[in-house]
Order: sequence, then C-alpha cells, then structure tokens
Amino acid sequence: MSKLTKLALAGEGGQGVQSVAAIIVEAANDAGREALYIPNFGVEQRGGVSVAYCQISDEKIGSPKFKYADLIIALSDRAVRRTRQYVNKDTVFIYDASIENIENDLPTNAKKVLAIPALDIAKKELTPRVFNVIIMGAAIAATGVIDMEGAKKALEKRLGYKFEKDPKLKELNFQALERGAELVKGSL
Amino acid sequence: MTEKPINGEKRVFMTGNEVVAWAALAAEADIMYGYPITPQNEIMHYWTRLAPKYGRKFLQTEDEISAGFTTCGGVLSGKRAFTATSGPGNILMQESMTMAEMMRIPTVLVVQQRGGPSTATVIYSQQEVTMTCYGGNGEGLRIVYSTGSHQELFDYTIKAFNIAWKYRFPTFVLGDGYQAKMRESLYIYDPAEKGISMLKTVPFVGLEGMPGVDRDPSHLRNTYNTEEELYDVVTNLVAEYEKIAPEVIEYQTFDADDAEILIIAHGIVTRAAQAAVKALRSQGIKAGHFRPITIRPFPAGEARAVAAKAKKLLVVESAQGQFQRLVKDALYGLTVPMEGYFKPGQGITSEEIVEEVKKGL
Repeated sequence: MSKLTKLALAGEGGQGVQSVAAIIVEAANDAGREALYIPNFGVEQRGGVSVAYCQISDEKIGSPKFKYADLIIALSDRAVRRTRQYVNKDTVFIYDASIENIENDLPTNAKKVLAIPALDIAKKELTPRVFNVIIMGAAIAATGVIDMEGAKKALEKRLGYKFEKDPKLKELNFQALERGAELVKGSL
Repeated sequence: MTEKPINGEKRVFMTGNEVVAWAALAAEADIMYGYPITPQNEIMHYWTRLAPKYGRKFLQTEDEISAGFTTCGGVLSGKRAFTATSGPGNILMQESMTMAEMMRIPTVLVVQQRGGPSTATVIYSQQEVTMTCYGGNGEGLRIVYSTGSHQELFDYTIKAFNIAWKYRFPTFVLGDGYQAKMRESLYIYDPAEKGISMLKTVPFVGLEGMPGVDRDPSHLRNTYNTEEELYDVVTNLVAEYEKIAPEVIEYQTFDADDAEILIIAHGIVTRAAQAAVKALRSQGIKAGHFRPITIRPFPAGEARAVAAKAKKLLVVESAQGQFQRLVKDALYGLTVPMEGYFKPGQGITSEEIVEEVKKGL
C-alpha cells in the first residue's frame, strides 16, 4: 500500500457511488488516517455521471483532485468514458461486467483492467439494493485503505438505523462487502 | 447564556459548508441572512439546523439583493450578522457590499466560488476574485481572505467577524466549490480556548440619548450632493483603508528565499503549489511558492521582496488571469519574467504545475 491512495468511483446518478465514497473516507478518518473526498456533480437533479474522488493518506492531503488514480471503478458506459482520462501505468481499472459494447472504450494503458460481475451478483445472490456495497468491498480489497472490520463499523454507523429495523439488511450488507472483496482478491 | 456550541477542541471530518456554519456559531454570530445557491447551500442548511439550539437566528430572504442588504441591516442594529453566496448571487450582493464600504458596516460574507460567467457550473472556480475584491462601484475597500483548507475556513471565518468589527470594512471569506463540498479533517474549537475573544458588537442606530446633545449624531450616509464632498469622503475612506492594510495583510512563503522559479497562487491552489514545490525540490529544481492569504489588501511589499529574487514567476489559478492582475499590480516595475498557468473553472493538480515548470526550464 502506497502512502497516498487515490481512488475514483464513477457511476450513473443513483448508483450509490457517492454514498460508498463517503463511508470509505469516514472509516479511514475514524481509523486515524487523513482522508479527502470530493463529489463531482452537475446541475441536473437526477442522472448524469457521478464521480467521487477520494484520497487517503497518512499525511495531510494536497489538491482535492488528482491527475491519475490508483484505482478507478466505473459502473456505466459513460462512467468508463469519463474516467479513463485518470488512468496511467499504475492504475487498476475495474468496471462492471454488465456494461455492454464498452470493449473499444476501455483504457489500454492501465496496470490492470478487470471486469467484475457486481450487478449480476447483487441481482441474483443478494439484492440490487446492495450493489454499491459490493463495489465498496471491491474498492477496499483493491486498495487496502481500510480493513474489513473498519468497513463494517462504518456501514453500521451509516445504516445502523436501518439495520435495527431489519436485521436481515445488516447481514446482506456484510455479505455484499465480503462478496465485493472476493471479486478482486486474487485477480490483482 | 445558552451553552457553547463547541467546548474545547475536537477533531472532526466534515464538508467545508458545515465548517463555516460551526465557525459562525463559535464566533458568536447572531444571525445569518441568506438565499440558496449551490455550492453554498449547506452553510444555510447546517446553520438553520444548529442555530436554534444556541439561540441564534436565520432569515431566508427573497433573493441575494435582499440577503446582502438585510445583513447590512442586521449589523446596523448591532448584531453579528453574516451571509454566504456564490457566483450569480455574489453579483447581486455587490450593491449592498458597496453600501457597507461607504457606511463602514462590518458585514461578513462567505463566498464559495463556482464556475462562470453566468450560471456556468455549480462545481468550482477561482473566477470570483475580481468581483469579491473590486466588484462594486467604488474602490474595493474590503478585506478578502482566500482560504485553502477546512482548517483555514474555520479559522478565518471566526477571524473575519473580529476583523470586520475592528476595522469596520466589509470582510469576505473567499472559498470555492471544492472547499464547500469536500470532506477532510480539521480541528474545531471554542475561540476562547485559543485566547480569541470576540469583539463586542454595538448598534449603529437607535442609540440612547439625544443626538447632538447627549452624544454625537450617528450620521450614516451613502449619498452625497457634490463632487467635492464625495471626493473628500472617498479620500478619507481610502486613507483609512491604506492605514490599516499593513495590520491586516497575511501571506505564506514556501522555500521562497532561494527560489529561482516562484509559483504564485492563492486559495485552494496553494495546496497543489506547495506539493509541486516539494516535488520540484526533490528533483533539484529551485522552486518556491508565495501565497497571499489576504488577496485584498494584497501583501504587495512581501510579494515584491521574494519575487525580485527569482528568475521567473509563474502565476497559477483557476481563472483566466484575474489573480494575475492583482499580482501584476503589486509587482509593477519588476523585470522578472512572469508567466501564467490558467485553468478557468477547473481544478489544478500539483502534477500539472510540475510539468508546467519543467516545460519552461
């Protein structure tokens, strides 16, 4: 793990990338690390590509945006096209396997390009509602910016009130987190 | 007295807009007047959520023209009043801010710059430099702090209230959409903990006693009949502003003393500039950085002193040379070559600055 980890999560508005980013940086901060997160948004109320830029380090962080990311996760065709500009030879580029007709738009200069079937797993094994938590698990496993325990605590902190009402939801979220991590472990 | 919003000092992780709301609470602000505009909205949101718990007030006005003038009115009644805005809202507040200049009303305005011109983006820029410093019809008799981190947003929002009330010039905290929306860690504190006491506020109108008999009349004017009369008034205002400027100016330097290439930047871009200097130094390039914290009044003498020693100046900003004009004004007469790296409405990374510096070697 390098000292400074730069992470860009991108998807369609509503896919939950901003929530995931917020939970990851919160967990990093709670673990005593320095974190900076900036959401990118347009004037539209809904839709459009939503990008979350996160940086996590042991020291105070410099400019809020970065030129190249260590990890990019793109969840739609537009998100792939939008974020490939942040790729260099050190970048791991992950995209959802369900995105169609994207082959020609994938970056060719990345350290690694990896398709993960997150959406498929969410639909078939868990519930579509935890799609973004699978992504969170993948992001954590790919970067090591926080540990699984910290991630679970952060999820609980954020969603605790929902977990109380429906204990099954907690189980689903934790499963999604683990499942997401499994998707990238061994592949990187 | 109601309990203090912050006891002691604590580490927090929040957005810049939330930071401003906490800072205004900690600074004992009595009331915020405001009208929503992105990326400033959450200052109002947090303030409206927090203020009632501590006996503070909020008034949402019908637009920014009104928000600016009601802020002036709040101050005239003796309240520590503030407002916040961005972009087109900043335009609408210019009229009231010039009234504050003319009548010496200590307003505090937090600006979170968005892209321009017009509606443009709700994201980020440094394109409100000219407007925030010199946007009115007049001489720009304002104090403008350009912050670069959440810690500074907190520190300088508190400071802005005291500086405004001490010197009685409208005071601005110039942030931007990045600072507004991003989350990072900082320490928030009770100002008393740091030995900061908030200046007592006093009403400008409705004072006790008979004017002219028991006390001097409170003569608040922004209208004059003759050229000569106005000339005298403005000359006095300018003289007072220039007199206090040396006490107000703040700046930072980074490896500037022996710098051959001096990067000049303000606000959040200072972070990229500082990182660029470190990276360039590690490659054996003698780079340095000068950063005014007050961009109005501008630390001109201090900038000149370091700029004169450099072989080249590079002004870096997220606007098309608005900040460079302030720099040029301060450095007039120096013959050190100056270049600009301008990204209007777009963020700037340290990598870009490093590349730009190396390109010019």
